[in-house]
Amino acid sequence: MKAITLKSILIISLSFFQNKMYAQFINWENISNKHKHLLHVNIAGEYGITAGLGYYHLIPVKRFPFWIGGECSIPFGNRLVDDFKVKIGTQIRIVAFNHFQFSARLQGLSRRYQNQLVRLFNFGCDFAGTLGYYRHHWFLGVEAGFDKAIVTNFKHSDWYKRNIYANVKDGWYEPATGGNFYYGLHTGYSMKKVDFTIRAARVLQQDFKSQPLFPFYGQAGVNFRF
Amino acid sequence: MKHSFKVYLSFIALTIFLISCSKERYIDEPGNLVPKTVDQDSSLPSISVNGALLHSEAFGPEDSTLIVCIHGGPGGDYRYMLNCKTLATKGYRVVFYDQRGAGLSQRFPMSWYKAQNPDGINKFFYDELRGVIRHYKIHPSQKVILLGQSWGAILATGYAGKYPDEIDGLIVAEPGGLKWDDVKEYVGNSRSFKLWSEALNDATYLDQFISGKEDQHEILDYKSSLIGSTNEIVGDVGSDLGSNASRYASSRSGAVVNAAAFELGEDEKPDFSSGIQNFSTKVLFIYSSNNKAYPDSWAAKIALVYPNKEIFKAQGVGHSGMVDQVNFWTTTMEPKIISYIHSL
Repeated sequence: MKAITLKSILIISLSFFQNKMYAQFINWENISNKHKHLLHVNIAGEYGITAGLGYYHLIPVKRFPFWIGGECSIPFGNRLVDDFKVKIGTQIRIVAFNHFQFSARLQGLSRRYQNQLVRLFNFGCDFAGTLGYYRHHWFLGVEAGFDKAIVTNFKHSDWYKRNIYANVKDGWYEPATGGNFYYGLHTGYSMKKVDFTIRAARVLQQDFKSQPLFPFYGQAGVNFRF
Repeated sequence: MKHSFKVYLSFIALTIFLISCSKERYIDEPGNLVPKTVDQDSSLPSISVNGALLHSEAFGPEDSTLIVCIHGGPGGDYRYMLNCKTLATKGYRVVFYDQRGAGLSQRFPMSWYKAQNPDGINKFFYDELRGVIRHYKIHPSQKVILLGQSWGAILATGYAGKYPDEIDGLIVAEPGGLKWDDVKEYVGNSRSFKLWSEALNDATYLDQFISGKEDQHEILDYKSSLIGSTNEIVGDVGSDLGSNASRYASSRSGAVVNAAAFELGEDEKPDFSSGIQNFSTKVLFIYSSNNKAYPDSWAAKIALVYPNKEIFKAQGVGHSGMVDQVNFWTTTMEPKIISYIHSL
């Protein structure tokens, strides 16, 4: 039981509680030229328990309104700034039919991970499509997307080199070092300038068989429109 | 605003350009993030047992009492036990081996392990240990002592219960549990799953950076190494081997064999204490003071099954500290083990 039983136990334990958060939290029925700014705060399960903050600005193109902006999130833990994720991108409404709307999201992202052994820094992308039913006071939708870790920089600690592998090769690793698909539901309740949102989805690794230790995501968030 | 936008675009373009100019480096290439195994690097010491090439070496006079060191995991390696090789200077033949699919030994796909069912644990752990002993035992009267730590202690106990007449001494250091339910309880107690903890996000946050398929050993082993190398609960702080360290600083987890062993365990619900009542030789049972998941009461419960035993509490070290901390080994553990062997 030395060392590596953690994965086995996490697989068992986290099978019962798993989640992740993504950025499509907009009630497309409520967009208005009076409120072009959107501030979003959330707490989520996304490869850990995280807190997030985002800002988006509405570009009110008539048939294809879109939001541009960014968001960042950090997981909880003793060292708050050693891990984080930053996303910058756009969310655009592509089709609207009665109250049904289809939107897409494309974001570039960078993220960082550090523990006693290694520091990872990664550039990637996240794209998703959402089909939803949107009313003024509520919305419900389904989404599917892909989060790709395109290129990752590895920098190992002296501890790793001393205790595990002296000849480990640091530097940029490409092609892609990882990728996860996700699919799930999102819903929300909207008031005049505020939305309360909830999201939940399943995450699968890119081989469609393996799953991450946290193979689901969940998110509770609040939007402030102004 | 336009100027800032141009600066931002230039930064992104420069980054992409620099990355695209760099040489491709793959995370699943042997030797990049994890060391090569014995079938990939012929310079490593190895033996062939039951169709697998095992990373293995032995020290000391070939015909003297064998002390077979059995590492933890499943899926760990023997590197952290290398302090034990000083026993070779005391006249013993000290044997180390990495189990199949673990450490620097040859890897096998998950399908191979699943194909061993039923009775898989018997086939690939007990039979392998028997093969290792046969490889190094050069005459029938040569005594054999098993020295197992953690999972290695569980395996050693199971082996002594299965072949009590083939073993002349048994040293077990903190077997987590011997009955399957005890194994699971100990593993659960020895890990922190607090949702807000750094330990949890150190383990789970990694999955968005690196993902590997079921049999991509280099990737899975690397991830396993990153999340399991230290553990504050059990008091492990990293090995201190001093001059006993090997010439190559190479340690590697066996993620697939670890997962396979737990799947087999769930299927078979093994009782590793089965037959140990027939092993009448005194057992040296060691546990540590710094392992919060292994209090006196747990040690007493686990040690209960050994009919003849000496219980020793290793003060000031954790789960692996009785063998992986050179100062403790030199001043306390090695003399204790030699004293135990002399008492047999």
